[in-house]
Amino acid sequence: MVIDTNRCVGCWTCAVACKEINDEPLGYWWNRVLTTAPNQSTAAKAPASENIDVPYGVYPNVELAYLPVACQQCNDAPCVKVCPVQATFRREDGVVLVDYERCIGCRYCMAACPYGVRIFNWGDGERAPGGVIGYGKDYRVDGRLVFAPVRPKGVVEKCTLCVERIDEGQVPFCVESCPLGARVFGDLNDPSSDVSRLVRDGGAQQLHPELGTDPNVYYLPVARRVAAES
Amino acid sequence: MSTVAVPSRAPRPGSPTPSAGALQKAAHHGVRWWYAVLVAIMAWGLAAWIDELNVGLAATGMRDVVSWGIYIFTFAFFIGLSAGGLIMASSAEVFGIKALKPLSRLGVLSAAACVSVAALMIIPDLGQPFRILNLFVHPNWSSPLVWDILIITVYFVFSVVDLTVLHRHARADAEEGHGTRAARLRTVVRVLAYVGLPTAVLLHSVTAWIFGVQIARAWWNTSLMAPLFVVSAVLSGTALVTLLALLAERFGKVSLPEETRRWLRGFIVVSLFIDLFFVGADYITMLWGNVPSERSALNLVLPGGSWSWLFWLEWIVGGLVPLALLLVPRLRRQQWSLWAAALLAMVGVYAFRIELVVVGFVNPLTQFPPGNALGTYNPSASSFQLVGAYHPTWVEYGIVAGLAGLFAAIVTVGYRRLDVMGTAVGAGPLLGPPPADAASRREPQLPEPGALGASVAS
Repeated sequence: MVIDTNRCVGCWTCAVACKEINDEPLGYWWNRVLTTAPNQSTAAKAPASENIDVPYGVYPNVELAYLPVACQQCNDAPCVKVCPVQATFRREDGVVLVDYERCIGCRYCMAACPYGVRIFNWGDGERAPGGVIGYGKDYRVDGRLVFAPVRPKGVVEKCTLCVERIDEGQVPFCVESCPLGARVFGDLNDPSSDVSRLVRDGGAQQLHPELGTDPNVYYLPVARRVAAES
Repeated sequence: MSTVAVPSRAPRPGSPTPSAGALQKAAHHGVRWWYAVLVAIMAWGLAAWIDELNVGLAATGMRDVVSWGIYIFTFAFFIGLSAGGLIMASSAEVFGIKALKPLSRLGVLSAAACVSVAALMIIPDLGQPFRILNLFVHPNWSSPLVWDILIITVYFVFSVVDLTVLHRHARADAEEGHGTRAARLRTVVRVLAYVGLPTAVLLHSVTAWIFGVQIARAWWNTSLMAPLFVVSAVLSGTALVTLLALLAERFGKVSLPEETRRWLRGFIVVSLFIDLFFVGADYITMLWGNVPSERSALNLVLPGGSWSWLFWLEWIVGGLVPLALLLVPRLRRQQWSLWAAALLAMVGVYAFRIELVVVGFVNPLTQFPPGNALGTYNPSASSFQLVGAYHPTWVEYGIVAGLAGLFAAIVTVGYRRLDVMGTAVGAGPLLGPPPADAASRREPQLPEPGALGASVAS
């Protein structure tokens, strides 16, 4: 997946869409839109505020950008390496998934994840009234339960890259719902795909590339067009 | 453990004076009260755990930003106590420190009790404790946690075997003098000590690597972690055995020779120095490098930061104060200075464990507003947390207290049943101060002072 931070306006539609399709309980966010400064893919600066939408810098020299962050689907995922029971696993196509029937809830993966994208079911999740609104069915990969509308308490969950949708040729729901087309989904192994082209030509970057986790989510920097035009 | 019978002990020959009988009766009475208190604490812990099973880990103060808490740092603390106790006990054998040999069975007993409690401490931390067998059915060998479970299991079995052999050897020695059976067991004791020393070092190193290998937490990710864990294990483990030995002296029929006290002081002083040196070296590296992810964690701990109370506990209360108590001649001569120093050193090591685990989580590596989702819903507060906070709940305190009570119960029962010190130290005066001529006997008893002993030699 490639996310164009130049297009992102910080509307949180992708985050709310993610909550809908996956029936995330109140207080759970698999996908968040972080407030950053442009071209700042790693935490070099202290946060400007505890609140979203607060620009960095001092007026009139202020700057603001957004960084939508969900599971980065790393090729060398620390969570997969540390999981003591192989509940977190990487599928052959690169999607990192959690087996809700095997997870023992030790939360080592949450300690290991550099991106803070994992959510633990501390109790029975509270949901707004109205019942299941999202995909609504169990989904299994190789017999392993990687999606359930209601996850049991005591297991870790996270973005599944909408595995139930991509297996049927659809794009993840955040990609479909983004009103600005900032998200592009495709096959990074196919050199002719849109995502491959954007990564190759658009100067796309990974989050915390220095850690060597090699994420499959890339971000197009805000200032690339300015740089290209000047 | 709830139906602990008070073991009856045959009165030792040579002590059936009327006053001793009365004292023994009083002690017997006190032991019943002690067991009653321990059973009450363990019941509290069990009730807290049942509550947590019903509610889920929402009953704890942990949330998605600080996702490990008191269970994990207490687990690491008990692993350290365990490893340290065995390192101390095995050192007596491996390096031929005669003065520490009387404490070897107590050290191994404490090690066995600590490792059991540490292993149990993981269970309430699990979200799905009934799936714990997955650890053995589907182990992932790249996870340090699996190796830790493995070494904990091996270590537990080892410490039980070691304790049994030590016990048999002491009995054989007492029954038949230096007979062939005693000699054969003597060889086994030696071999076990040589196996135990590296096993104990490995136990705490693997526990350190749970943290030390994590690239996501700058606060943890240092190769110093394993050496630091080992030296803090020696410090806290020796301090614990010291406290237990002093308790045995107070309530039992033993007295610690001055030579043994000197070695205990030496172990504590040297390991405390090395511990503070390692921590200080780590601080210097982070301060000089000034890498944001490291500084944001270090600033929390240094004076002025929101977790600086841990700094004071580690460096002053558990650092300089015990060093002063053990090194300043006027303080060192006081009877209370050794147990006070041992207690404070343990406080310091516990502060280090809290600091390590919690501070590692407070500032996540990817830290932009609004922060991480908390994973629970509170209508009057944000669902996000930018800077982590952690306040343990009474459920957590209850479970930890219950397991600490279990530790005390195991040690008490083990101490009384196995008589881990009684015959080994030699018959001292009943419940009395150490022999008055201990000081005069000290010098001739001295073997050649080793490196550890030399540092506290008066």
